[in-house]
Amino acid sequence: MRMNDAVTGGVFVLLSALILFAARGFPTLPDQPYGPGTFPTIIAAVMMVCGLALIWSGARSRVPLLAVADWMRGAATLHRMAWVPGFVIAYVYLSKPIGFPLLVPVLLGAFLTVTTGRPVRAAAIAVLGTAALWLLFAYILRVPLPLGLLTEVIY
Amino acid sequence: MDAVLTAFGEVLQPQVFFIIVAASAYGLMIGSIPGLTATMGTALLVPITFFLDPIPAIGAIVAATTMAIFAGDIPGALLRIPGTPASAAYTDESYRMREKGQVELALGVNMLCSTIGGLVGVAVLILAAPQIAAVSLGFSSYEYFWLALLGLSCAIFVSSSSPVKGVLSLCIGLMLSTIGIDVVMGVKRFTFGDTELIGGVSIIPVLIGMFAITEILRKVARPSRLPAPPPVRLGAMVSGVGSTIWRFKGGVARSSLLGSVIGALPGAGADIAAWIAYALSKKFSRTPEKFGTGYPEGIVSASSANNAALSGAYVPSLVFGIPGDTITAILIGVLLMKGITPGPMVFVMDTGLVNAIFAVFIIANLLMLPLGLAAVYGSRRLLSIPQDILFPIILLFCVIGAFAANNTLFDVWVMLVVGLVAFVLEENDFPLAPMILALILGQLVEENFMKSIIKADGQLTEFFARPIGGTLGMLTLAIWALLIGMSLYRATRSRRAASTGE
Repeated sequence: MRMNDAVTGGVFVLLSALILFAARGFPTLPDQPYGPGTFPTIIAAVMMVCGLALIWSGARSRVPLLAVADWMRGAATLHRMAWVPGFVIAYVYLSKPIGFPLLVPVLLGAFLTVTTGRPVRAAAIAVLGTAALWLLFAYILRVPLPLGLLTEVIY
Repeated sequence: MDAVLTAFGEVLQPQVFFIIVAASAYGLMIGSIPGLTATMGTALLVPITFFLDPIPAIGAIVAATTMAIFAGDIPGALLRIPGTPASAAYTDESYRMREKGQVELALGVNMLCSTIGGLVGVAVLILAAPQIAAVSLGFSSYEYFWLALLGLSCAIFVSSSSPVKGVLSLCIGLMLSTIGIDVVMGVKRFTFGDTELIGGVSIIPVLIGMFAITEILRKVARPSRLPAPPPVRLGAMVSGVGSTIWRFKGGVARSSLLGSVIGALPGAGADIAAWIAYALSKKFSRTPEKFGTGYPEGIVSASSANNAALSGAYVPSLVFGIPGDTITAILIGVLLMKGITPGPMVFVMDTGLVNAIFAVFIIANLLMLPLGLAAVYGSRRLLSIPQDILFPIILLFCVIGAFAANNTLFDVWVMLVVGLVAFVLEENDFPLAPMILALILGQLVEENFMKSIIKADGQLTEFFARPIGGTLGMLTLAIWALLIGMSLYRATRSRRAASTGE
């Protein structure tokens, strides 16, 4: 995911413009020109100058607009990488309704199967890993990890 | 003397001591597995420290990082893969020693020098920190503003990539710190109508995203099998080590002091200290031609320096609340969560805490000797854990860790988004250290800037009116001038290179 500096610079210029616009809406102290918007305005101004500098240098270089690094090529690689956000998003949406003890072994087992390619071993590690983390966080540290479907079974 | 005994008594309580030993074991594991850095290990430790009292929490972080920086040397010598970036400077050198059949000597020297460097660093910390704190009690908002800005500018100055990208990374961190209720009028800023953001972006998920998710993404993309480590005879790790270090005692002393100073500079941590110490010891050596052939002199210097840097980083962190490296940036985040604001007042009001931190450092560095031997012994087993099993489990750990701080799934989102953005930024050579420093320091900078500018009624000359504040201000401006000069020089040089290339 190497981008030409002009692309990243453009993103920063856009971002700083949005911040400048938002900061204009903040109130100021009575009889003083300063207020909550002062600091963000200064940062956004610096950001804009640096963003423009990146655009300037990026436009002169002959780096392609977007290039994927060699090590990130290949469908299998991207598939494995996509599992990272996939895992997190699945946890966010499903942990409450399904519950940690039921969801995590399945999710972790599936991810481990993708990375190791050995489903049986992956399943065993997933169950053990979930149990260990459950013990550490739910029992010792008392983090309220969601029980989900098991709530009714236990209570 | 009484205070010192109380401090040791407090740290040596069974429960606290157990936590320190457990954290040490954790640190040794993190350090000796390539790909898990000391910073990432600390970020993953934070959710657990959240449930501890301040002293065991700090003890855990100090112990884990001290061990991790040493343990990074283990795979360096055994496999030629540095366990943490701090060991990269002398990985080749220690691997050459392995080829000469001196792997035990290399590891033994690593271990003892790490301890010596660490202890020198602690001595500097113990001697310097209270003195600087006493001076800085008279600091007003001007001095604090310049100090924080100077720290952030240093962070950009030492980062290896282009200054422009460093400044942009800094700006992102500062902007993130402005989310939530503002310090001047209590107005909601950039919360996008979201109630979760009113309290600001919480630091734990940001840290985990920045330092763990990025690494997981890289490792999952490129699964690598580590080569089998050679057998190590523990007996040989002890004999001959003392005489080797004695031969290069000047280098040890110089590098330890140098390391402490480099560590104290904001943004420059153990890795930079190791590189500089290695280069300097080659320069000062009587036999520079032996460097790179498996000669212990460079190893002695660099492995003292990286552990000294770790302790040195606590000087500005404890005295001013300005982190000396990414690890202390995390530590300051932890202290703030515990309701302790690092600064000179801590040395007046909370001497017990300060002394306990000193005691933890001394104990952790001494524990490194027995635990380090055990870690080298266990490293063959540890290094045989396949990385493709490790990283999915670490991802689960990250998710729970991000959730556990505030028990909200919103923080899991924060972790993911920050992780993905940080991954893209790192791919494009943006340094992450300025961003995390800025996120931690953002409020301090803004608060003192606003106080100052309101006091001065908009007169910017007032920022230079006080002697110390003015000096700090001039220093900061000098660094900026250097940075701007450097980027202009780079730009013209690359243009010239481009035109001659045609």
